[in-house]
Amino acid sequence: MTSYRLDKGGLVNRTMPLSFTFDGRPMQGFEGDTLASALLANGRMLVGRSFKYHRPRGILTAGSAEPNALVTIGRGGRTEPNTRATVQELYEGLEARSQNRWPSLDFDLGTLNGLLSPFLGAGFYYKTFMWPAAFWEKFYEPLIRKAAGLGKASYEADPDAYEKSWAHCDLLVIGAGPAGLAAALTAGRAGARVMLVDEGALPGGSLLFDSATIDGRAATDFVRDTSAELQSMPNVRLMTRTTVFGWYDGNVFGAVERVQKHVRDPQSHLPVERLWRIVARQALLATGAEERPLVFGGNDRPGVMMASAMRTYLNRYGVAPGKAAAIFTSDDSGYGLARDLEAAGVDVVAIVDSRPSAGMDYRGKARLIREAVVCGTKGHRAISAIEVRRDGRVETIAVDALAMAGGFSPIIHLACHRGARPLWSTEEAAFLAPEGLRGLEVAGAAAATAGLAACLAAGAAKAKAILDDLGISCSPAVFAAVDGDEGTPPARPLWSIPGIKDKAFVDFQNDVHLKDLGLAVREGYGHVELAKRYTTSGMATDQGKLSNMNAIGLIAKARGVSPAEVGTTTFRPFYTPVSFGALTGAHAGRHFQPVRKSPLHDWARKHGAIFVESGLWFRSAWFAREGEQSWRESVDREVVNVRQNVGLCDVSTLGKIEIFGRDAAEFLNRVYCNGFLSLPVGKARYGIMLREDGFIYDDGTTSRLGDEHFFMTTTTAYAAGVMNHLEFCAQALWPELDVRLASVTDQWAQMAIAGPKARLVLSKIVDDDISRAAFAYLGAKEVSLCGGRLHGRLFRISFSGELAYELAVPAGYAESIADILMDAGAEHGLQPYGSEALGVLRIEKGHVTHNEINGTVVPSDLGFGRMVSASKPDFIGKAMLAREGLTAADRPRLVGVRPIDPATSFTTGSHILAKDAEATLDNDQGYVTSSAFSPHVGSTIGLALVKHGPERHGEKIVVWNGLKDEYTPAILCDPSFVDPGNEKLHV
Amino acid sequence: MSEFAIVHRSALAPAPRVASHRIAIIALPEGHVVQVFERAPGADLLAVLADAAGTAPHAVRTAGPGQWFIVGDEPLPRDTFLDLANALGPHAATVDQSHGRVRIRVEGTVVERMLAKGTAIDLDIGAFPVGHSAATLLGHVSVHLTRLDATAFEIMVLRGFASSLWEGLERMSAEFG
Amino acid sequence: MASLISCPHCGARPKEEFTIKGAVLPRPDAGAGSEAWMDYVYRRDNPRGAYREYWHHTSGCRRWLVVTRDTASHEVAACQDAALAKRAEAQP
Repeated sequence: MTSYRLDKGGLVNRTMPLSFTFDGRPMQGFEGDTLASALLANGRMLVGRSFKYHRPRGILTAGSAEPNALVTIGRGGRTEPNTRATVQELYEGLEARSQNRWPSLDFDLGTLNGLLSPFLGAGFYYKTFMWPAAFWEKFYEPLIRKAAGLGKASYEADPDAYEKSWAHCDLLVIGAGPAGLAAALTAGRAGARVMLVDEGALPGGSLLFDSATIDGRAATDFVRDTSAELQSMPNVRLMTRTTVFGWYDGNVFGAVERVQKHVRDPQSHLPVERLWRIVARQALLATGAEERPLVFGGNDRPGVMMASAMRTYLNRYGVAPGKAAAIFTSDDSGYGLARDLEAAGVDVVAIVDSRPSAGMDYRGKARLIREAVVCGTKGHRAISAIEVRRDGRVETIAVDALAMAGGFSPIIHLACHRGARPLWSTEEAAFLAPEGLRGLEVAGAAAATAGLAACLAAGAAKAKAILDDLGISCSPAVFAAVDGDEGTPPARPLWSIPGIKDKAFVDFQNDVHLKDLGLAVREGYGHVELAKRYTTSGMATDQGKLSNMNAIGLIAKARGVSPAEVGTTTFRPFYTPVSFGALTGAHAGRHFQPVRKSPLHDWARKHGAIFVESGLWFRSAWFAREGEQSWRESVDREVVNVRQNVGLCDVSTLGKIEIFGRDAAEFLNRVYCNGFLSLPVGKARYGIMLREDGFIYDDGTTSRLGDEHFFMTTTTAYAAGVMNHLEFCAQALWPELDVRLASVTDQWAQMAIAGPKARLVLSKIVDDDISRAAFAYLGAKEVSLCGGRLHGRLFRISFSGELAYELAVPAGYAESIADILMDAGAEHGLQPYGSEALGVLRIEKGHVTHNEINGTVVPSDLGFGRMVSASKPDFIGKAMLAREGLTAADRPRLVGVRPIDPATSFTTGSHILAKDAEATLDNDQGYVTSSAFSPHVGSTIGLALVKHGPERHGEKIVVWNGLKDEYTPAILCDPSFVDPGNEKLHV
Repeated sequence: MSEFAIVHRSALAPAPRVASHRIAIIALPEGHVVQVFERAPGADLLAVLADAAGTAPHAVRTAGPGQWFIVGDEPLPRDTFLDLANALGPHAATVDQSHGRVRIRVEGTVVERMLAKGTAIDLDIGAFPVGHSAATLLGHVSVHLTRLDATAFEIMVLRGFASSLWEGLERMSAEFG
Repeated sequence: MASLISCPHCGARPKEEFTIKGAVLPRPDAGAGSEAWMDYVYRRDNPRGAYREYWHHTSGCRRWLVVTRDTASHEVAACQDAALAKRAEAQP
């Protein structure tokens, strides 16, 4: 016989049948079922094959600790492997597939591994696949991966949305069982901000299958009434389907809410999962306890189930495990199950109790076998009989279901996530939460409190104590009398059982059995952390929720010590697996990072800009015109137009910083390596900023707009970094200086107007006199525009080497001013140009960017040696710049490079070799930092950092591309390919 | 001299609005935002600022030690800004950020829940009362938040991030549509 | 996943709002010699226990802070504005 649905009972909605499939076979369940309860209701007991030996496996638990019943659900991008059937809620149309079997679940060739099992014990891989080393990657690993394993992930993109949220509360209650409900009620009634979080679809925990009554009400009615009261309180948030998976610094708890994992078609306006970070002033752990399996031969056969799970299926889901059940117990909890089974019409064939006498008075019909153990099971794909051993004699009893009750371990994982170790209690025969935790208390079965009434009282009392500490006055919730309370005394642990022949599993998911642990101890891996890794016990996706306690007990026994001495492995987040989607949240795909747009973005798009991502910015790279065949054609046109006529480039992305204060000049003098004290009002100066280690950090121009007012520009890439650095200098290094810094990057749009006709164009909109005499090179001032309708800032600076200006206007007027300029410049051939042309123009001129300022160069490497002030007493980088290595004569220094044959080319990153030298590390002379096709020169040109570069102008060398093994004969030259005398700048 | 008019273009043009029965997101007029830095601690600058800011509620907002924003819906003519700067001159440095910051109003019964998807600040009215301001991270974007009333906040963001933040706010509010 | 820093100006904020620079060390005089400068720029202790670091509240008040943090337990013992800390050291 198999499991089946009872005619009545349970919390399932029998008026709402749901269709689903398992391995393609159509089945029916009810609303309120889990996939596991629905499978059992359909008589499906074999649901998977084990990891290593491919043994038939069934449903062992009714919760998140499930090691066996892992299935793949959904299809396409919604495929979810390794879903625990015991927590997956059933929905109409759910498609579930079994895993790790071929060709089918019922007939699996992998079962042959079972025959090889004498060779597959602990440390098998370490011992077997030692050599030859090359075989590991190509042969052994693929083979093992194919044979052993879990579900397969989909390669398709996940179509669903995820998000994250923060939450804050006075008291976070984790677990909505008896203790948690009582605590939340106590704190909620006192007006505290309470969050009550439970991983289940319904609050209630053990109350959902408890047959006790409270004040004459069924336990489930008590849950319903209590939840309704909590939900009516505006200060209480009750969250179900939410697993608190970690406890972090600052008393922040991580939780994942399964918003739409129980529906077939997730709604697009809601996330499927939501990751919560809950900041709790105090938290109460009311997570209950996990029942321990018993380790006997064939304890993994389908039909063997945890006693509490069997009771859950019976009472909550109305599903009976079979027609003839047996119970193997080491404590009193098995007797409550026996009573419930009998009440539901299931024949309880035998209760096998390992103790000489039960603590509970049992008057049912089952045969009670005391001082006995189940040492083995029989059956093919499901259990058909048990072997009961008593006084050395073994008796076989036919059954179709077996419950095992090995005692309870408090669920204390979260309490140990911040490093504290659990404590072994001999009295409770369990590890308890560490003591003296700050911000977290434990109550109920999680604190080894037994019995419903005791857990309710404990939850209320703990909540009151916590609220007292928080200064919130309250009185603990009081509950009416509990009838049928089964407060069982702790089980005497039954680690080992005599007479075992078949494999007795400790870790079901990783197929670790009794002998593996013994072997680990014998071979010297008896330390709990070593045993874990040697046997893989506790390393599966369930993280040993069921197995760890038994493994520790067995290691303790093998070593002849107490479990306290063995200790536990380290508890780490996550308590249960969390999807990558939830951890990523909303920031995926094109929302991975925010986009930063220039105020001239739409203007550029209007002119055909092709954009390039530059950090978070979108910059216009070039402006394609109709008929242009390639980006090079567009860029060459833009470059030539700047050199011949005039171009307009959006440089708004440069970092812009206003600097105020009595000591502003002194401040700049300390952060730049060159002098700024003498900069007159109305002038701009190129500045180089060093790091404290002497290397160049960033460059830019700074203008003096007033005695105590400067305006700095930084490179686009380093804008944020420079602002942070300046704030560090102002606040942490020299707080005595009177200086204030304001980032105005977004306030000002900035346009470069460059080319011989730049002045002609600008004169049409700038009201002030900008003639050569009135506004010379490096002039900087506020100007009136368009007849005084607007004011902007004009800087006479040039990156291209041409007569050039940068005009800054308030960002909201940027597009309008750009339009006016384009109109005014039409007769002079004004065209927009993008960052690609900007790059070509500056390489032609020999100007550096972060291609050259790459963290390895000092000012003298770039020809700026004489800019470094010798007279300043101090500036950032001064001391370290004097180091021997940074002043050596053979440092790579800036030089130009071009191919001897203009038809040939080279790329950035290529290395420089002396003519006829072999391409070796020793012969490396330097490398190309920037390169581009120069319309001005008519060939590729480059800037390079080359040993003794400035002294080698005219020398023939070879540019070597090691990736493509290309050698290009080239010549070193002045890096200023255009107007080396700087005449154009001063026109 | 060009014939073109100088037109102001809003970062979130044309000023959009998302509204449901529980949440509304509204782009505010790009009026004025003045950043103020205290020059010498000690002076009762806040009173001077309140005076300068006029009568609009929550026009002066704290922005870190010794820093404030003065905000309003009306544009700030250059002369008015210069007058303000001069008036504050002895006490504070002033920077016009009217074009550098964009303000968005978010209001509705679920406004705290929506914003909690982006910021770690406790927005409960007990912890974040009306008139309170804070600079924080909203998602991946730095913003300056102010509570305007029991169900409304104002978010001030760098202009370049405004459209990206807007998209983020739309997605954060989707479930309340 | 999470940790909170109590900014003296803004209150408890998540670490994502901050930028960490590293050890708090006094900046030597320009002429202090290469050993002092090597210590300042490169050499670091790696203590188990209390450690003073510069943290910048980048997405908050934009103040540099001196955070005293236990490298083993992550407990933050103190968090002070860097300018105030520097002034306090200058005027004991």
